[in-house]
Amino acid sequence: MKCLNLKLPNSIPALALAALLGAGNAAANGPIGDHVNDLQAHLLEYGDEVVWLIERIDGIVDAYESGGLAAANPEAIVEHWEEVIFHAAIETSYIPVYASIWQGLFGVRQAIEAEAPIGEVRVQQAMLEQSLWQGLGAVKMAAQFQQRGLSAVIEVTEAATPAETVDEIKQRLDRVVAKYAERLPEEAVSIVFDTYLTRFEGVEGMLIEQDAELVVDLEFDFNVTLPQALEGGAGLDQVRGVVLSMQSKLDRAKSLLEEAGQNRTSVF
Amino acid sequence: MKRRSFLRGLAVSGALPGTLASLPFPASPGLVSAAQSSGVVPVDELPALEGELTLYLGRGEGGLYENVLAAIEERNPGFTLNIRRGPTAALANAIVAEAGAGVGRADVFWAVDSGAIGLINEAGLARELPDDLIRQLRPAFRYPRWAPVTGRIRALPFNTDQLTAERIPRDIMSLPGSGLAIGWAPAYASFQSFVTAMRLLEGDRATADWLRGINESAISYAGELGVVMAVERGEAQIGFANHYYTLRLKSGMPEARVAMAFTRGDAGCLVNASGVLALGDGELPINFIRYLLTREVQTYLANEAYEIPLVAGVAPPPGLPDLASISPPEIDLTRLADLRPTLNLMREAGVL
Repeated sequence: MKCLNLKLPNSIPALALAALLGAGNAAANGPIGDHVNDLQAHLLEYGDEVVWLIERIDGIVDAYESGGLAAANPEAIVEHWEEVIFHAAIETSYIPVYASIWQGLFGVRQAIEAEAPIGEVRVQQAMLEQSLWQGLGAVKMAAQFQQRGLSAVIEVTEAATPAETVDEIKQRLDRVVAKYAERLPEEAVSIVFDTYLTRFEGVEGMLIEQDAELVVDLEFDFNVTLPQALEGGAGLDQVRGVVLSMQSKLDRAKSLLEEAGQNRTSVF
Repeated sequence: MKRRSFLRGLAVSGALPGTLASLPFPASPGLVSAAQSSGVVPVDELPALEGELTLYLGRGEGGLYENVLAAIEERNPGFTLNIRRGPTAALANAIVAEAGAGVGRADVFWAVDSGAIGLINEAGLARELPDDLIRQLRPAFRYPRWAPVTGRIRALPFNTDQLTAERIPRDIMSLPGSGLAIGWAPAYASFQSFVTAMRLLEGDRATADWLRGINESAISYAGELGVVMAVERGEAQIGFANHYYTLRLKSGMPEARVAMAFTRGDAGCLVNASGVLALGDGELPINFIRYLLTREVQTYLANEAYEIPLVAGVAPPPGLPDLASISPPEIDLTRLADLRPTLNLMREAGVL
């Protein structure tokens, strides 16, 4: 696992920072390709793909509306998504939207497979389209950073401080949601345990000196709440809720660790 | 006793690569030199570091090692430290691979686990350390080609509401069948080093029986802080964990219902160590290592990371029993490097 040490101007909005922070997690479901290192050159292609995807999905929903489940072929929704290279661009740029796209894809597919009223299917379709456009926006912003040379100052390295480690943990939890959204629960659980053993365990000893109850909470989240949600087939929103709650606790952990670091005695 | 005589015999004959068997805390003849300790050196007595050095740093105690490194750089304006960070075992493999390819990049390797050091020593890559540096260390921690920096003891944290120290077996091998509710973290690296030590001391069959016996009733946790917290809550009466987890828990929760017991002369009270070795040429790598052994760095790591200073004359972290009362086994720490037989054994025993 890598983290990115960024030197960004203060004016860069939080979404952009988050987008670039996600860029180190390059492990897409399928080949990524070199295009992710030159996003600007592929923006038109990504835009065309989003339009193409929306048209394809609209066609599937139209077919469902006119001919029912037998006419719709809802399995093609995910197949179309996996055909486009935009898939890798968003996965490596802004993982939270990536998860939302998957949620939308399965939302439309499952609504059709459940033979839901067309109104419900259209609601799912609208949510998916919104996620796709959000994803395209995030990729465009990431492309701007690449263009402005900011990617040249991205240093890929292991986290050096406890606060950086906490940031890595939060990014990994975003990936847990993404993998779960892709219907890869075993991979999601594996990320949880690996994150616990190789990252959280390295900082919790220091954290417990600051707030033992917080460590107890996070221990329970890592070892019980989140794995149980993933393995028990919880809905994606429920899993996302667990992760957001953990990330909030991790924000507090980061503050405590930074404060403790400032209060430590000097070595010499 | 036979096994210890055997190990000592191997060590003296040089059959154990790189080092001799250790007997950490009791005053025993030194491995490299029987001379008296030269004592701890204050940083003011060290030469300034000049030039550029590449350190491979095994991922360890959060930011505390980083704080030490930053302080060394700050103190030496003419010194530039390049750090490559990663899991200790992966860095050890990288050092061996890079040397094989003729592109050695690391000048110094600071490993959080001495097992990985064995890999480097076996490849003949580490430089011999000067005698005056080695003699700063406690006599039983003197090795010719690496310097232990700080240590950690395997301990048995127990719930003080449910047990007293007197009820805890002093022989690790007698814990299966003791009727105690045990918590453990078998996937955890320190636990696996402990099992490796048991294999070396007791043999594979006895270790497999021990694992199966514990596994019948033990509660599993992902990490060893989790084990200590479970013991404190009373989910388990006793657990297996490095000493510093209990000290840290008690630091954040002084009323915690947990204390530590130690077995005697077996793998249950193994002392493992982080260690540093010099790979690059010249005085700079050696002088850099001297900084890690100063009174200031050793004291900092004892007070902040609860690790055990291995330089003679530096006080251990508060909350540990008198080190002279601990009797760890005689074992060459670098022999803990080969985990494969241990992992195979643990899988065969149904533990992993």
